[in-house]
Amino acid sequence: MTPSSKLPTVRRLVSRAAPLALCTALLATAATAAPQSGKLAIKAGKILTKPGAPAIEDGVIVIVDGRISAVGGADTEIPWDAEVIDAPQWVAFPGFVEAHTSNGIDRPNENIDIVPFLQISDSVDPVAFFFEDALRWGMTTINVQQGNQTVIAGQGLIVKPTGMTVEEMLVSTDAGLKLSATPKRGNSSATQVQTLRQAFGDLRRYLEDLVQQKKDGSDQSRREALFQGRELEGEAAKGRAMEGSAWKVEGLERVPRGEIDEKQAPLLTLVEGRMRAFFYCGRAMDVVHALAIARENGFLAQTALLLDGDSWKAADRIAEAGVPAIWEGDVMFSERDVITGELRETFVPGELDRRGVRFALSSENPSSQSLWYQAALCVGQGLPRAKALAAVTIVPAEILGLGKRVGSLEVGKDGNVLLLSGDPLAVTSWVERVVIEGRPVYDRSTDIRIQHLLEGQTPPGTMAMGASLERGPVCCEELLPHTHEAGEVKKTDGEQGEKKDEKKPEDKPEQKKPDEKQQGGEPK
Amino acid sequence: MTQALLWASLAALGASPLPLARGADTFAVHAAELWLGDGQRIEDGVLLVEGGRIKAAGRGVDVPLGTPRIEHDSVISAGLIAFDCAVGLDGETSEPKRSVLATGRLIDAFDASAEGVAAALSEGITTLVLTPAPTTLAGGRCAVVKTAHGTVLSAEGLLALSLSEEALDPNRYPTSPSGAMTELERLLGAGQGALPAAARVAVLIEAPTRDDVRRALGLAERHGLRGALSGSRRAGELAEAIAAAQLAVVVGPFASGVAQRELDSVVALGRARVPLAFALELPTRHPAGLRLSASLCLRAGLDPAAAWSALTSGAAAVAGVQTRVGRLERGLDADFVLWSGNPLDLSSRPVAVFVDGVRAHQRGE
Amino acid sequence: MILGLILSSLLAPVAVQELEGNSWSVWADRVYTAAGDLLEGAVIRVEEGKIAAVAPGGSAPAGALRAAAVTPGMVDLSVRLLSGWTGVEHAREVNAGMRASDAVELFDERWKAVARSGVTTALVNPPDFNVIGGLGLAVKTAGGPDGAARELAPERVVRGAMGAQPSTRNHPAFGRPEDLYSRRPTTRMGVEWEHRAAFYDAAASRADAQRAFPGSPELLRVLDGELPFMVQAWTTQDIRTAVFLKEEIEREGLGRPRFVIDAAAEAWREPQLLVRSGVAVVLPPFAPLGRTGEDAFMTIGSAKLLSDLGVPLALSAHGNTSAGNSLCRQAGWAMRGGLSFAAALAAVTITPARLIGVDERVGSLEVGKDADLVLWSGEPFEASSAVIGVLIDGRIVLDPRAGAEQAD
Repeated sequence: MTPSSKLPTVRRLVSRAAPLALCTALLATAATAAPQSGKLAIKAGKILTKPGAPAIEDGVIVIVDGRISAVGGADTEIPWDAEVIDAPQWVAFPGFVEAHTSNGIDRPNENIDIVPFLQISDSVDPVAFFFEDALRWGMTTINVQQGNQTVIAGQGLIVKPTGMTVEEMLVSTDAGLKLSATPKRGNSSATQVQTLRQAFGDLRRYLEDLVQQKKDGSDQSRREALFQGRELEGEAAKGRAMEGSAWKVEGLERVPRGEIDEKQAPLLTLVEGRMRAFFYCGRAMDVVHALAIARENGFLAQTALLLDGDSWKAADRIAEAGVPAIWEGDVMFSERDVITGELRETFVPGELDRRGVRFALSSENPSSQSLWYQAALCVGQGLPRAKALAAVTIVPAEILGLGKRVGSLEVGKDGNVLLLSGDPLAVTSWVERVVIEGRPVYDRSTDIRIQHLLEGQTPPGTMAMGASLERGPVCCEELLPHTHEAGEVKKTDGEQGEKKDEKKPEDKPEQKKPDEKQQGGEPK
Repeated sequence: MTQALLWASLAALGASPLPLARGADTFAVHAAELWLGDGQRIEDGVLLVEGGRIKAAGRGVDVPLGTPRIEHDSVISAGLIAFDCAVGLDGETSEPKRSVLATGRLIDAFDASAEGVAAALSEGITTLVLTPAPTTLAGGRCAVVKTAHGTVLSAEGLLALSLSEEALDPNRYPTSPSGAMTELERLLGAGQGALPAAARVAVLIEAPTRDDVRRALGLAERHGLRGALSGSRRAGELAEAIAAAQLAVVVGPFASGVAQRELDSVVALGRARVPLAFALELPTRHPAGLRLSASLCLRAGLDPAAAWSALTSGAAAVAGVQTRVGRLERGLDADFVLWSGNPLDLSSRPVAVFVDGVRAHQRGE
Repeated sequence: MILGLILSSLLAPVAVQELEGNSWSVWADRVYTAAGDLLEGAVIRVEEGKIAAVAPGGSAPAGALRAAAVTPGMVDLSVRLLSGWTGVEHAREVNAGMRASDAVELFDERWKAVARSGVTTALVNPPDFNVIGGLGLAVKTAGGPDGAARELAPERVVRGAMGAQPSTRNHPAFGRPEDLYSRRPTTRMGVEWEHRAAFYDAAASRADAQRAFPGSPELLRVLDGELPFMVQAWTTQDIRTAVFLKEEIEREGLGRPRFVIDAAAEAWREPQLLVRSGVAVVLPPFAPLGRTGEDAFMTIGSAKLLSDLGVPLALSAHGNTSAGNSLCRQAGWAMRGGLSFAAALAAVTITPARLIGVDERVGSLEVGKDADLVLWSGEPFEASSAVIGVLIDGRIVLDPRAGAEQAD
């Protein structure tokens, strides 16, 4: 059984765009080669620009220098020097946006409770399988954050799943800080919330100390900054007042920014409302704490809640606070009634939607199913299709502050396009091609792992991870003896030790010696 | 004058507590309310006892002249009957090495002088049904004993079988319900290795889960078994099937904090007219738990007549000793209790307990 | 007109009430009967728990249960709810006569979840800790008291297992020989040997009644082809062993058994072996990266491959009932691997029913069969479609009307 649709596609490209045959052949094999002119045109049988908008039949997307310059019908003008991907049988869709994940880094969390100064860019692993798989499933923008076992964790990174270095993968450093209202292992709720409050209390005391130092004329902080090699000259290093903050430390404008300790500076940025926050809530009571702490410390408007467990039960509070949510749990939440023992299931995204919470889905749920699958399950449970698709594209984009850059196929946005073999929610649809910022970066026909997963074929010269030495279906006709009519006794050959003894075990089992070989004939 | 003296001395004799010897003596007991059993309650009733048995019970009983007389200003009823007792057996109810001990007799291990027996007596319990632990597939023959004088009512009673998971042992056959059922079919069947017919008169099947009850009903149907089920918390959900199989159910024991579902199950059984009896789990539990179980079921809606029958006459029928105890009726043993009030009311206590016509317990002693 | 309104408002509730119990009208845009038909806009009339009529081209009668699509209730041959150590008798390795019906927990709460996921008939097998565990039985996943499952047909298959699992906990007789588990087999090879010994010994008892042993009558029924032998074999080597066992039995004239290989994850590797030997296959649940139980590797295209070659194929969910992993999702994944919808539908309905011989009662929507139906919110097996209603023997197990108010 020969696989895949590779040959027909190439043939079609070659026949329809002969002058560009060389370029397209290069595209098919060298997955990360950028179009030479920096221009790419995608012609697709159907373009779904954004959830809720009508599909464009036989449409064209033009991407120039990584940004979409045109989206329209068949008559859209294509620059003469653009590479063209001609795919009348496929559906174009915006790349999925993963609102939060802790995969792709070497270890999700530190042991220390408060580490806002850590940068995840230092632990992102570009060759982690997670990124390869993310690309395969069509995720083009990924918010990588530290895990949930923390009080205040480090700052995350928004990446695309291509590139051999973190710099190549980078989409945005403005990814925010991770916090958790759910007790980390070993903590009780009381300890967790107290530690959170204390972190901000400590920040305030530290800043007050600094101001006092300045008033006293001490230059200790300056000396320390110089000793640690911090930047003291640039604009960013000058003093500033605490604008837009829920609480203020008077006189902070006396303190040059550069003199603020590196360990405290990220928290200061947070309370000034200039950094995003992802607050993990595994239970409904954690939501109350998280919202309170964010409100008290001035970063509620920048907060997105990361929800799990039964935290959806606090949906009213979340809606009231006006913060968006990322649902990390399974689409259906099960609980057993304490008295009757009956199982009760709740469709969580439906609940969130009903109570007015803006939410995104995440692939980091216990079923480890990809984003399109999560969205499809939601539609099955009654969520409108547009809302389900929005929850994996435009809503997470907005949560990440990239609402103007990704999440839909509109002019001016990044050229992140998926070419799917069918409707994005159909179970038979595959991600055939992925284009990120105008560069084709994935082609399913050359994806070795998908071929192995689909058909078990491994290309010659390679061996799939953990596989036996067999390659694909072994035709056993030649190697192994045939069956025969019933009753006809045949002698066996000793091929490959496959056949066992021929003797009839007429005695009781205990008396036999199974490792003695016999060539047919009488039983022992 | 002499006659008056005679009457006075007789009255004096009657009023004072007389330690009567066992057996031969005759006396009469007058009760403000006499519970004959099966719902019959007589006001100003008289119980006439002779030779350890009831000679007559009711109103207008002919009491011979000179008979000593006891007056009681409240309820007198038959003694209570408790199932699932292992008191006096000192841990000898479980045979872990063998799964089948069908011909074993629990009575052979019973010590009548054990402390728990007297404690049961003091709570108005006059009859105990001794059962083996459910850790053996066929645990032996239950015994029915009285709580005083060491009287044995039945040395070879119900055959105890267990479908409980506790009867399975991963290290000896059977290790699974399939094996257990196969083995039980063999024991109850007609082929080689089956139990003698005499041993299969009636059974007491421990069936904790509803699936165990289902299996027990299957066994009963296939082999025409009579007897009772025990240990099930939700048997009421199969009440119709149990009633159709004409099996009884031993329920409880219940204490405060019992799930409502379990009490509802008992009520459902009562409504389906399944004969009931109460388990006590002596000596693990306090004997006062017997009436507590009944009270909780009453509170949940069990018919009082069914509850009372489950404590006395019905329980006796399940245990197969209804010709000896369970009611205040001519010819039955004189096992009765003088209560301080309505026995179904937990605030009442036994004032005195008679077994075999002899006062065996007096409150305050 | 007002009179008409009053009359209709009086009539409508009456029409619903008269249909309470096990008689219904069911209407769907698309009815997939699994008997070769797709009917558009059809009404299924259920009476007293049986399918009385299937009529296309109508409109929904008043009081009918409605859905976008209807399929027969699904049949899962490997539901694995009887999975604990006590589920099978360990005293012997070959227990062909013991019955899973004695151990099955019909009141297990999980049956409700199984029924609500659209599986209406399930095969309950002894767990595979033994070489030959005993007789599996077919149950309806609901219909008993308190919503419990109930027996449909006892003794549908004799269950066996290849591979390493049956020798679990057995150990050679060093040290403490009185342990029940100090016995053979302790290896894969020993397991296969026990299988062969069991069948040979059973065949010998045909001629000589003295040679009968517990379970030999059931094994004879297998050899005569009356009871299928359902043997678990995850990996290639175990599948081969099972196939060669069947072929040896036939070659030696012991009989013509019917084999069904359960959890045949690596069946895709040597499909010709399955074709030539005529065994049927039940696939385990798909795994996202292909690695399934016992470290076997199952390609997503397995179902298509086997179906195209004509190997009788069933899918199974191993008791998964979550929204993302239940049997209908397995069918979806099989379609993702290229299996056609019709073949996927057959693999979860009529084919498994036929394999265990209950196809006269269930497996397709035909007049006279049990009214086991699944109602869908969209196209069956699509990830964006959910099971909104389930009927078993004409009784509502999952009420499609309850969901209607919440849908937008």
